[in-house]
Amino acid sequence: MPLSREAIVEGLRGIVGPDAVVTDEKVLVESSVDNFRKLQNIFDVHTMPVPAAIALPADTAQVARVLTWADDNGVNIIPRTGATATEGGLESVVPDSVILDGSAMNEIVKVDPYNMQATCQCGVPLQALEDRAREHGLTTGHSPQSKPVAHMGGLVATRSIGQFSTLYGGIEDMVVGLEAVFPGGEVCRIKNVPRRAAGPDIRHIVIGNEGALCFITEVTVKLFPYFPENNVFLGWTLKDMGLGFEVLRDVMVNGYKPSVARVYDPGDAGIHFSHFAAPDDCVLLFMAEGAAGIATATADGIQAIVDQHPECTQVPSEYIETWFNDLCWDASKITAEDERIRQTRNVNRTTEISADWSSINEIYQAAKQRIIDEIPDITMMGGHSSHSYINGTNMYFNYFFNVVGVGPEEETEKYYLPIIGIICEETLKRGGSIVHHHGMGKARAPWVKDEYGSSYSMLETLKRSFDPNGVMNKGTIIPL
Amino acid sequence: MTALRIAVGFKVTPDYEALRPADWARAATGPSAHGEAVRYVRRVFNVFDEAALELALRLRDARTERGLETSLVAFSVAGREADPFLATLQALGYEGARVEPDADLDFAPATTAALVAAATRHLGGEVLLLGSRCGPGDTGLVPFLAAEALGRPSLPGVTAVEPAADRLRVTFSAGDQPLRATIAPPCVLAVGNALVSLLRVPTLKDRLATRDRVVTTLTPADLGVDVPAALSREPSALVGLETIDRSRAGVVVAGASPAEEARALYEEHLHARLERI
Repeated sequence: MPLSREAIVEGLRGIVGPDAVVTDEKVLVESSVDNFRKLQNIFDVHTMPVPAAIALPADTAQVARVLTWADDNGVNIIPRTGATATEGGLESVVPDSVILDGSAMNEIVKVDPYNMQATCQCGVPLQALEDRAREHGLTTGHSPQSKPVAHMGGLVATRSIGQFSTLYGGIEDMVVGLEAVFPGGEVCRIKNVPRRAAGPDIRHIVIGNEGALCFITEVTVKLFPYFPENNVFLGWTLKDMGLGFEVLRDVMVNGYKPSVARVYDPGDAGIHFSHFAAPDDCVLLFMAEGAAGIATATADGIQAIVDQHPECTQVPSEYIETWFNDLCWDASKITAEDERIRQTRNVNRTTEISADWSSINEIYQAAKQRIIDEIPDITMMGGHSSHSYINGTNMYFNYFFNVVGVGPEEETEKYYLPIIGIICEETLKRGGSIVHHHGMGKARAPWVKDEYGSSYSMLETLKRSFDPNGVMNKGTIIPL
Repeated sequence: MTALRIAVGFKVTPDYEALRPADWARAATGPSAHGEAVRYVRRVFNVFDEAALELALRLRDARTERGLETSLVAFSVAGREADPFLATLQALGYEGARVEPDADLDFAPATTAALVAAATRHLGGEVLLLGSRCGPGDTGLVPFLAAEALGRPSLPGVTAVEPAADRLRVTFSAGDQPLRATIAPPCVLAVGNALVSLLRVPTLKDRLATRDRVVTTLTPADLGVDVPAALSREPSALVGLETIDRSRAGVVVAGASPAEEARALYEEHLHARLERI
């Protein structure tokens, strides 16, 4: 028999202490959603089951005890740290869930400049770790837009990627070791080594598990030398996204590693670059960084590649540098965006996918056209490629729509999910991946079998093995 | 009530929030550096003008509901950087016009006001809405100088405008006092801290439907304004900018217990301030 809400709260108080269990109704209601249904919080209209409590464990031992208790009592656990998820991974889709919030576990355990790695607890804000690394002239190399507000545990759990990924990689390339707690309370540590060939790389069971398999309590990430004085910014305007993808491919195939390599379509460029780009212009931009010789060589190599395309018109680098310096989203920008939505009912959403070089432009064109044709009240449909690899790139669809004729709580069903559906369909049709770096959450879970194909059985086996009683973040990655 | 034409003058400004502290320091070293520091920052509607533009749309909507004819025209004294903003406004139902200045009009309120008044006469507009001020260093004089040039009454700190029979009911503030007035056009309304501060967004279909509409382009000569002469008559000139020192000091309030700390906070730091209120 399921525990009552009162019994859940009592059980948690017995483990983490009464002061570390949040039962304030307003906080619980707001915690029933994440940014996937952000309009519910912006307009204070909620439809999801309200969690029973939020527990803030102080250490790994308490996490283990909570997960043992949850497993014994069939209580659904939603792991979270910075609460910046965008894909519904933090939604409480079943009644009386418990949010296990690691934000109080916020100690930077060790910064090791000699071995170029840092260890921290799950609740350490990325910005705090980055600031500590900078004191040593180092950087994490990880800079998602959410850097000022996201925490390390969540970033690893969602397979995050940052704006400098073309040089430093995604979080999966940075994590060298970690500690995680599994249902039933088993604490597993994966040691910090440069590489090993001792069987499968089990880090990847944890990285990107989105709280559906385990709770990440500690991570160790690589550090890199920081040379901001050597940064070189380059930018061009051009008329054709297809050409933009081709130039990105040339840069990658020729082995250059700019930290930033992006192409914006005219719609998306209109938001960021209308002060120098015409309404039908795409914008191609790069940042080269690192030791002086590397940064200069990288910039020179990219310049030579783009110079082969007279259709590209170079713009002063200050435009790109100024834009880049204002890219991250801090709390004030989030508040301003919420107010913008409240006043205008104009909502900005994003969906990111990846595909090989042969398919990416087709996916972009097909999805964009279908969204314009099929979805009402669109005010901007665009996107950019921001993370490139030798065999392909991502597409970050960026779109705005006015919420018309429905309540704010219905925005997801009327607009957002149908748009996601179109993007997923067009991506899967051409062999791409429906998720590049936001995670599946609950938003894209309905497409998980199509995403995995015949390898879905491996995912199911992982879920069954590590979470046999199904208490870890129900509905995330694998739908209910 | 007869048909009403509403004109809104707006300015496109650098997004000052996108500037880093270092950029501000550079901007403060002199007039030319000011231009250099903001040159590479994206452009946005001046916040007060954006509120004015949305207030005008809401006034039009309210009048339309009452069966009253209303037309809107938006204009800017600006270069081509205003064109994307005019395209947005045209998609929202405005006619668009741009007055191409042949000189730098930063810190030239009398000249700007002369152009705004002349543009309003040329384009029509019994009601002229303008943002109260625009950007660092702005004097806030333009709406009132324009009203004087047009020979119209004006209201400051406007936060809302509603139709009231053949007049307008205007909520505004003078000093700290919120006030309401019923005013018969023609008039000039200087929009202040309106609760409605953000402009609605046109759909792609709206944009496609209006993309071929032409923006009326005017020169100061078309409007009969001699800009160099007007500039020479400006009552004041900018000679430099300097940053305001907003640095704060901090002290640690000590005490053996929270109660003692609270007492120390009150007695040493708050009591005297509260007495002065």
